[in-house]
Amino acid sequence: MAEGGIRCTVNGQEARFEAGPERTLLQALREELGLTGTKDGCSSGDCGACVVIMDGQPVNACMVLAPQAEGARIRTVEGLAAAGGLHPLQRAFGETWAFQCGFCTPGMLMSCVALLEANDRPSRDDILTAIAGNFCRCTGYQAVVKAVQQAAAEMRGGEGPA
Amino acid sequence: MSEMSYMAPERLEDALAAKAEHGAHARVVAGATDLILRMRDGVLRPDLLIDLRRLALDAIELDGDALRLGAYATHGQLLADPLVAAHLPALRQACSEFAGPPIRNRGTLGGNLVNASPAADLVPPLLAYDACVILDSADGRRELPLAAFFTGPGQTVLRPDEILTEVRLPLPPAGTGAEFIKLGQRRSMAISVVSVAARLSLGAAGEVQVARIALGAVAPTVVRAAAAEEALQGHAPDAGRLRAAAGLAGGAATPISDPRASREYRARMVPVLVRRALEAAWSASREAAAHG
Ligand SMILES: Cc1cc2nc3c(=O)[nH]c(=O)nc-3n(C[C@H](O)[C@H](O)[C@H](O)COP(=O)(O)OP(=O)(O)OC[C@H]3O[C@@H](n4cnc5c(N)ncnc54)[C@H](O)[C@@H]3O)c2cc1C
Ligand code: FES
Ligand code: FES
Repeated sequence: MAEGGIRCTVNGQEARFEAGPERTLLQALREELGLTGTKDGCSSGDCGACVVIMDGQPVNACMVLAPQAEGARIRTVEGLAAAGGLHPLQRAFGETWAFQCGFCTPGMLMSCVALLEANDRPSRDDILTAIAGNFCRCTGYQAVVKAVQQAAAEMRGGEGPA
Repeated sequence: MSEMSYMAPERLEDALAAKAEHGAHARVVAGATDLILRMRDGVLRPDLLIDLRRLALDAIELDGDALRLGAYATHGQLLADPLVAAHLPALRQACSEFAGPPIRNRGTLGGNLVNASPAADLVPPLLAYDACVILDSADGRRELPLAAFFTGPGQTVLRPDEILTEVRLPLPPAGTGAEFIKLGQRRSMAISVVSVAARLSLGAAGEVQVARIALGAVAPTVVRAAAAEEALQGHAPDAGRLRAAAGLAGGAATPISDPRASREYRARMVPVLVRRALEAAWSASREAAAHG
């Protein structure tokens, strides 16, 4: 085991935790760092509730061995809101009813934020592809598509939906 | 829980030395998308994990008339790569239908091969493109046709001291068309019920110079449909000939029933999917020949 634990950057802050390879990044985030926004729905890569952005890409935190996060830049749902308030996508999720129970929402948000950072005018298909690994048992996904397009328009600078 | 050691060496020699020393007690980790589940189920209990992430084994490059795909290349990297799009469209297609983006960003080519699932999605297209695997150990290097790599479900000829470092493919000749079809229970996040890759390379007169048909999830390993390939060899295809060849492909399938589908359903889908894949490959190969 690496001396001094595992070091990485979480939401822009240096973080350090102790966790061996029998534990996952998801467990480390929730249990060592207290970041329980990232959810554990299945622990088997299937549901997407645990999606975080690692080195710029959405990944399932339950599918990353804790030591594989050494040196990585991790972003979780806790890092989305800035001093000025909620992220435009978080606001859009609220305004369009893109969640009900909310369990899938942190992972859904992270998959969609990664999409918006790569593509500022995503089509309906782009959005459905981006959330193909995020299961939602409440909304039927249509409101999520709407929320992402609304946030994209706002982030481009106030034009109406694409 | 017993202490498991973990290393992420920076040089391949160090990874190979650890493999030579610990053999089957050491396990390579790439994307961990298979390994995590197997360790949790207790199927695998390695003493040492050797993480490949610092070894720069993810290059995708053209080397003379061969394409070299690093074993650590993720499905997401393959999907975004212009060489893969230009020369290996059936492989790209398999990557695009693989799981969902978060798994594609972690899961690797090498992991998909060494895991050796009969339903592994990258295997049919790679077989159709005549891929070879490069296996390295402290004792040296072996290069094997991918067709000789698998011996059964989860079983390969990889020795306990070896690491798969690269997949190498001959650049497909002009006049090549290929298609991958995955039949799953939904469009994403589905294990293949049946998968088919077909590749046709046409000669100047439109005759088939190379025919390759590979079937996934219908036998203990991904298999080639040799009788169907032979029926196409040397002839200019037409719809009837493609249909007849597709009918012969069923002979290569020995499917089982599992929670995803019955044996009978799989057996009936093989000729249907092979015919569709051949038709698409033929049309793509004629197009390539016309523009080549
Ligand atoms: C939710 C989910 C969806 C999935 N969907 C699909 C799908 O659609 N299609 C599909 O085919 N598979 C699918 N899989 C299975 C899996 O993601 C793939 O097989 C993936 O390619 C494995 O790669 P990895 O890098 O994660 O392998 P790992 O888990 O890191 O390794 C798998 C095995 O290979 C060994 N290994 C890995 N790399 C090497 C190497 N270079 N040399 C020697 N040994 C090595 C490891 O020791 C281990 O035994 C899915 C898995 C999950 C969890
Ligand atoms: S908890 Fe990770 S995918 Fe479900
Ligand atoms: S809001 Fe309940 S699962 Fe998506």
